[in-house]
Amino acid sequence: MTEALLRRLGAALVTMVLATGAVFLLIRAVPGDAIGEMLGQSAGDPAAEAALRAFFGLDRPLWSQYLAWAGDVLQGDLGTSMRQGLPVAGIIFDAFLVTLEIGLVTLVVAILVGVPLGLAAGARPGGIFDMVVEGFTLLGLSAPVFWTGMVLLILADAWLGWAPPLIYTPPGISLADNLEGILLPVLALGLLQAAAYAQFTRQQTAALLRQDFVRAATARGLPARVIFGRHVLRNIAIPLVTYAGLILVQILGGVVVVETLFGIPGLGRTLLAAIQGRDYPVLQGALLLAVLVALLVNLLIDLAYAAIDPRVRGA
Amino acid sequence: MSRGRIELVIGAVLAAILLAVSFAPGLFAGPPEAVEVTRRLEAPSAQFWFGTDETGRDVYARVVHGAGTTLGIVGAAIAVAALLGGGLGAVAGYMGRVPDLALSRAADALLAFPPIILGVVLASTLGAGAGNLILALAIIYAPVFFRVARAAGLMESQRAYVEAARALGHGEWAVLLRHVARNVAPVVILQCVILFPLALQIQAALGFLGLGVPPPTADWGASLQESRNYLTVAPWLAIFPGLALLLAAIAASLLGRALQMRDG
Repeated sequence: MTEALLRRLGAALVTMVLATGAVFLLIRAVPGDAIGEMLGQSAGDPAAEAALRAFFGLDRPLWSQYLAWAGDVLQGDLGTSMRQGLPVAGIIFDAFLVTLEIGLVTLVVAILVGVPLGLAAGARPGGIFDMVVEGFTLLGLSAPVFWTGMVLLILADAWLGWAPPLIYTPPGISLADNLEGILLPVLALGLLQAAAYAQFTRQQTAALLRQDFVRAATARGLPARVIFGRHVLRNIAIPLVTYAGLILVQILGGVVVVETLFGIPGLGRTLLAAIQGRDYPVLQGALLLAVLVALLVNLLIDLAYAAIDPRVRGA
Repeated sequence: MSRGRIELVIGAVLAAILLAVSFAPGLFAGPPEAVEVTRRLEAPSAQFWFGTDETGRDVYARVVHGAGTTLGIVGAAIAVAALLGGGLGAVAGYMGRVPDLALSRAADALLAFPPIILGVVLASTLGAGAGNLILALAIIYAPVFFRVARAAGLMESQRAYVEAARALGHGEWAVLLRHVARNVAPVVILQCVILFPLALQIQAALGFLGLGVPPPTADWGASLQESRNYLTVAPWLAIFPGLALLLAAIAASLLGRALQMRDG
């Protein structure tokens, strides 16, 4: 168990180094850099350019830049934004909190809507309700999230005459304003993820009902409600919890586009702004965080499975 | 008719319509770039089924002509990713050792990023344009094909027929190309259909973020971006390109499910 875990951690570390290294090179391969953007009018003055380049360490070879960055990261220093002059860690932390709030609220919505639908559909595979749920999942998984968001904006205006503020208020300042701002983004993301959750729950439930021990319980004359509560729910609870981790990673990825649509200053918008402004430190920090979260969740899921199912441990 | 059959038929009909529209948009609609400012932002009517946009272009014509752009880019990207990722995956799985290790780590590194985030970074690095967008999408999905083909190649390499072919004196590459590739191909093709709707959503999202094909080319994602400022004034600008995306994704999902069911 420990050996397998260590091996997995090692692989995750290698992936981390490769991924951040690739990104490091990639974003520097772009024609035009932050210095050109920064100088604007006075671009073309070689002395000014050279001075700025030296100041940000951009005159050094790429491998030395990467090592310097990686060394700082290991000491907990993500660097300073080239555009804002603020510590990258602070910028990214603030943005991540915003994205995380939306992600967690969306996750709750997805579970509250998706799990009951999936359970009901999986209980009677092929039934009418199952078909309705299947239609819902097909629709939810096929609609682009940002388009769902646009349709919600259109409907809110047409039916309620209401337009959301399109400004993000932190929950600490006004919870009501905060919720008003994140309502539509959460609904748009929630529809997609509820569909994913319903599909997963349905599969798990239907597969479990075909298992021998469930059939044996039925043969023993146990009422359906007892079978469902004692055998089915208890067995699918664990996959459903681990699935939450995967969904959260997906939400954090998908929120990029939705943040742009609804004007939410989260990680996605920060990332886009950093790309447009060639703000390398912010971009590297944001991407590092994205990769870190994804790897961490995958590792946790592996661990959870190993804890539940002894057969997985050696693998 | 069984439910799987019905799904297959609906998916096939939708796919056929989309293919026809993609390859011969001229048969279904007029020119997509005809600007006529005097008729800007007109609601859907008998003349303009989907209304007109901010410069008076026919939204119906733009949706019809956008099919070729959008679906063509996604289709080409999936094909490139399948050839590249599938080919390397089959080789890695069959050969094992160093090539497998190196390629697997590279695939892991790419898969560590959420697809849309990788897409944003790649598309903005490579620059606007259909070719670059195809390349970006292909890089995102090649590792997925790699994993699938690698697993299949690994399984095939342990089969008795591989041993028999070797015993008969066939070289490694001959076995790989003639026998293993043929058995890995179906898995890769199925994966194409499964990944299509996902790649479609990324393509649309990149277009929406302004990282797709530059104007005035008709593209569904780009149309949605242009519609953003007119959401409440001219909702048809957002509704119809989005519906087209939805239909294409549904068609691919239905076909994918039918294929999966057939394979058991």
